Amino acid sequence: MTPVHFSFTSAFILGLMGLAFHRTHLLSALLCLEGMMLSLFIALSLWALQMEAIGYSVAPMLLLAFSACEASAGLALLVATARTHGTDRLQSLNLLQC
Amino acid sequence: MNPYVLTILLSSLGLGTILTFASSHWLLAWMGLEINTLAIIPIMAQQSHPRAIEATTKYFLTQATAAAMILFASTTNAWLVGEWEIHQLSHPLATTTVMLALALKLGLAPVHFWLPEVLQGLELTTGLILSTWQKLAPFALMIQVAPTINSSLLIAMGLLSTLVGGWGGLNQTQLRKILAYSSIAHLGWMVLILQYAPSLTLLSLFLYIIMTSSAFLTLKTNNSLTINTLATSWTKSPTLAALTALVLLSLGGLPPLSGFMPKWLILQELTKQGLPLSATLAAMTALLSLYFYLRLCYAMTLTIYPNTLTATAPWRLNFTLITLPLSIITILALGLLPLTPAVTTLLTL
Repeated sequence: MTPVHFSFTSAFILGLMGLAFHRTHLLSALLCLEGMMLSLFIALSLWALQMEAIGYSVAPMLLLAFSACEASAGLALLVATARTHGTDRLQSLNLLQC
Repeated sequence: MNPYVLTILLSSLGLGTILTFASSHWLLAWMGLEINTLAIIPIMAQQSHPRAIEATTKYFLTQATAAAMILFASTTNAWLVGEWEIHQLSHPLATTTVMLALALKLGLAPVHFWLPEVLQGLELTTGLILSTWQKLAPFALMIQVAPTINSSLLIAMGLLSTLVGGWGGLNQTQLRKILAYSSIAHLGWMVLILQYAPSLTLLSLFLYIIMTSSAFLTLKTNNSLTINTLATSWTKSPTLAALTALVLLSLGGLPPLSGFMPKWLILQELTKQGLPLSATLAAMTALLSLYFYLRLCYAMTLTIYPNTLTATAPWRLNFTLITLPLSIITILALGLLPLTPAVTTLLTL
């Protein structure tokens, strides 16, 4: 495992752990998702650089575009949650529990 | 919703799934999944009451996490093995991560908790899309990566799904939650057979989609969300009530109906592969599912609920819904069992 591989893997896993275990605010969940996507961006761009695959240098751009769309959808849902539930705490999302 | 916007959303919903079907590169498959998720979110949140928004938020969080995990696993595979093809996912870490992420996307047993809550917050048509069309793209990926996955993981996941799907539905009175748990149980059966006969998985998925569509369309026609409203639905349309009981028993997998076909073939294949214990456990957990389908049938057709007169005599309004899809798909959900020899020949089992 190269140092680059180790660093982006640990960044992704930290983001995932934050998303899974730090469940207080919706905004922090969205930030964790964005951190995961950025670690993937670094991984893809460094892969293209290291393999000297010119054709793959488009892939990080596509990833960034899609993750921006995803982040905007998440922020729209944040606004919608704040309007309907009055707060962005994940604890208040409890209307549908069994 | 504006019809132009709805058209765009529905066509990109189709585009995302078809992109995932057609792709052989992980990045393209991931893009298809993302387009799919982003397209259904406005459809889910179109009625802006708190429950719909909450369901949409939960769905968004789980699907985004699962998609990121899929891309992470394929990137790891590319770093370690140097291969982006979907078929060539070979590193064990990457295959296990992909399997877990696809399980999260579908709602399989250890990571199924979002599915009943999300389905409960949606209206019935969106719930129909969520529990049929949205399962196709993850399943296309799962069938392609299945040969390299650890088989004990798959069997454990399948058995746990059938158990949880049966167990969770026992205590529910909300019909959408019952259908969500039935979806978990059926997906467990499909995953159980995934490595031994992928064509049986496809057959089982096809029949599950037919039966679930029939159940959702019936509920939509009756406009019923709980057992109680289902119990008074015979006053509106007696024939549909009688057929709905049969559709529910078909979901449970009773012999003369078409829901029996996948269960029969899967049990036979598992026994042939020398896994009698798994087959026995799966058949036993199907009894748990059968219990809550039978309770629905009992409430609908076998008893008259002690309701007041106003509850049993709702307004008779003119039927404006289009019932052709409902009737076709109900016929398919009830009477496909005689096709079993043809199906087994076509699948070359």
